[in-house]
Amino acid sequence: MKIAVYSGNIPSTTFIENLINNLSSTGIKILLFGKKFREVKYNENVEILDTPDSGPALLFFIIKESFKSIFRNPALYSKALRKIFSGDRGFKNNLKELGMILPIINNEPDIFHIQWGKTLHKNPYLFELMSCRFALSLRGAHINYSPINDKALAESYKKYFPLIDGFHAVSEAISKEAQKYGADSKKIKVIYSGVSDEFQNRIPAHKSDSSEILKIISIGRYHWKKGYHYALDAMKIMIKNGIKFKYTIIAQGDVPEEILFMLDDTELKSRVELKSGMPHDLLMKELSGSDILILPSVEEGIANVVLESMALGIPVISTDCGGMNEAITDGADGFIVKLREPEMLAEKITELGKMKGELKEEIILSALNKVKKKFSNENLKKGFQDFYVSILNT
Amino acid sequence: MRIGLVLPEAPQYSETFFNLKIKGLKESGFDVVLFTGKKNKKKSDLEIRSAYLVKKRNIFSQVLMYVYVILKAFLLSPKRSLKLFRLESEDGKSFNESLKSVYINAHIISEEIDILHFGFATMALRRENTAKSMDALMSVSFRGYDINIYPLKNPGCYKKVWENTDKVHTISEYLRSKAIRNGLSENTPFKKITPAIDPDKLPQTEIRKDISSPRILTVGRLNWIKNYETAISAMKMLADEGVNFEYTIVGVGPEIERLKFAVYQYDLGDKIIFAGKKSHEEVKELMNSADIYLQPSFEEGFCVSVLEAQAAGLMCIVSDAEGLKENVIDGETGWVVPKRDFRTFKKKITEVTEMSYENRKKISDNARLRVINEFKAEDQKKYFKEFFETMTKKA
Repeated sequence: MKIAVYSGNIPSTTFIENLINNLSSTGIKILLFGKKFREVKYNENVEILDTPDSGPALLFFIIKESFKSIFRNPALYSKALRKIFSGDRGFKNNLKELGMILPIINNEPDIFHIQWGKTLHKNPYLFELMSCRFALSLRGAHINYSPINDKALAESYKKYFPLIDGFHAVSEAISKEAQKYGADSKKIKVIYSGVSDEFQNRIPAHKSDSSEILKIISIGRYHWKKGYHYALDAMKIMIKNGIKFKYTIIAQGDVPEEILFMLDDTELKSRVELKSGMPHDLLMKELSGSDILILPSVEEGIANVVLESMALGIPVISTDCGGMNEAITDGADGFIVKLREPEMLAEKITELGKMKGELKEEIILSALNKVKKKFSNENLKKGFQDFYVSILNT
Repeated sequence: MRIGLVLPEAPQYSETFFNLKIKGLKESGFDVVLFTGKKNKKKSDLEIRSAYLVKKRNIFSQVLMYVYVILKAFLLSPKRSLKLFRLESEDGKSFNESLKSVYINAHIISEEIDILHFGFATMALRRENTAKSMDALMSVSFRGYDINIYPLKNPGCYKKVWENTDKVHTISEYLRSKAIRNGLSENTPFKKITPAIDPDKLPQTEIRKDISSPRILTVGRLNWIKNYETAISAMKMLADEGVNFEYTIVGVGPEIERLKFAVYQYDLGDKIIFAGKKSHEEVKELMNSADIYLQPSFEEGFCVSVLEAQAAGLMCIVSDAEGLKENVIDGETGWVVPKRDFRTFKKKITEVTEMSYENRKKISDNARLRVINEFKAEDQKKYFKEFFETMTKKA
């Protein structure tokens, strides 16, 4: 089985890199293409096709691939040229699309797996030219909120979703959202993200209850959807209630004005620490040293950091957004609070901070078991194998 | 007396504050010249000098332009150019940076003016020594963004501006106190002149007998500082209680995706309307068909929209952002509730919808009367005249 994976950039996001590594380890041949930004090591089943997207490099690439293509399948090649250059999207965009399509024509994958919904409309001829099957991953913002404001994007989903042979949804919640844009529920398979094996055999860290200051942490880039402004509201409430705590946010990117503005408050500033993004192993160390992970988001697929936190034995309080309630069963293996409700978040943090050892351990243990059972890399591998086979059999 | 007013661009029709200000100054007998960053494309009866461009694209033409402007500055205003260059050097700027300052300020120092007035504090950045180099007085107006936001990412940015400013114009007590927190000396002379509006252009809205199905309105850019999320959460509570309301948000801005998502998530799509950009006339019409005006902002310098809503006699519910506390008198011309507290916002909306017609009418009249009496354009004109006439060189 040969799968072409297109995500635009090589290397891609943590999630997609994890997917590539897991799939290739099962013997599936992966043809990875996109623009290569730096060297990445994959196993022998992964073939990288660095496709430039502009400049002389793109021209050179097209010439090279054209030769191959004329030799292999001249009819298809001429059809591709005719189709692509018949559009009125400008010469540059036509070249870009040609640069994307030629390597797929030349490599004849069984399935073309598109990672981002937003890229569908950029390659309108892909579906007409290629005889392979198409898979699309349904992820976070692309499905959950971008099409709400961007009507053209919503229309493009309605147009192209019927041409997709199989959808991979990162959660049940996102599967439901995608159906609003015409994704056929029978073609959608929910495959949960997997937590790296290194966590699986780790014994949950036992926290002593003696520490007086509650160490709260959040991890994730700065973006409004992460809801850090609500978390800071909750922290203000906790200060008012006399709770002793320290809140750390680890996030990539520039600190937004909104957060800086909220932290222009002496008391809050003394309790909150902002750290910039760091390598994954250091991140996990920070997480392990905390008492509670909070996810104040208003939108998520299923936040990976929550799964990691559950695997590491750090109790989680998450908002009820996206697929988070598929990861956490409130009160059993973590806690779920209502969206956009700082008061409830503050209350729950306080409650968890006071929770007695035994009860807390029970939750920690249940969380670990949940991750092992539901969010293992084994499940992910098997899920994708079944997914691809079912697409080929349709 | 000739005043040089530094603004990013010539004020558009919609920028009531600056248009009124300039008109007032001229009527008071001042000569006004406008220094703008952008070239003015529209015809204007104002005297406008725009800055020489800084183009990053075409290095060749930029170099030519640079040499031309610098030569011109040193030939035509040798004393001032030299002085500016020297002052900049004394502030620790490199040769190149100091020369660049001459370039940036060339369109200003070639003019004869008595006072150089910066319409925003940010406009004075990189122009801290300009007034000094021309032996003119320097004054600065504070706006919300200048004082509340810009220094967050640029701490200490106004140090030199404060040192050289002879007089400050603030639109609220709060902005001045915040500027003092950011390093402005308490001894710098200042005058508070609030924005003014023309009440004749905004007739009082006829109060409906029954507002149990309220029509609610907010006007303002869709950015985080306006904090629309609080209003949207309050709307969700209203909807959950079965209240049949309509909430219109007028404005455009970077947070549209975030706000539309909140509305979608709460399933309020049929009750909350994003009206987009609206003209003065259209806003007037919307004000005249609304019952309640909301301003949930995180922070405001003063907020002209709330002033307009009071002139229109709407029931104004605003957050306790500092500038708003000076704008609305709680319980008399509207209500002030804790910011980011959507429950209290909701509670207040419910209370207002349950108020008797007579009591609402009283608030409406109070609000309109206060705006007419205390925020007159005529007064603003007088205050600005005084502001500039009584200006003296800082000791």
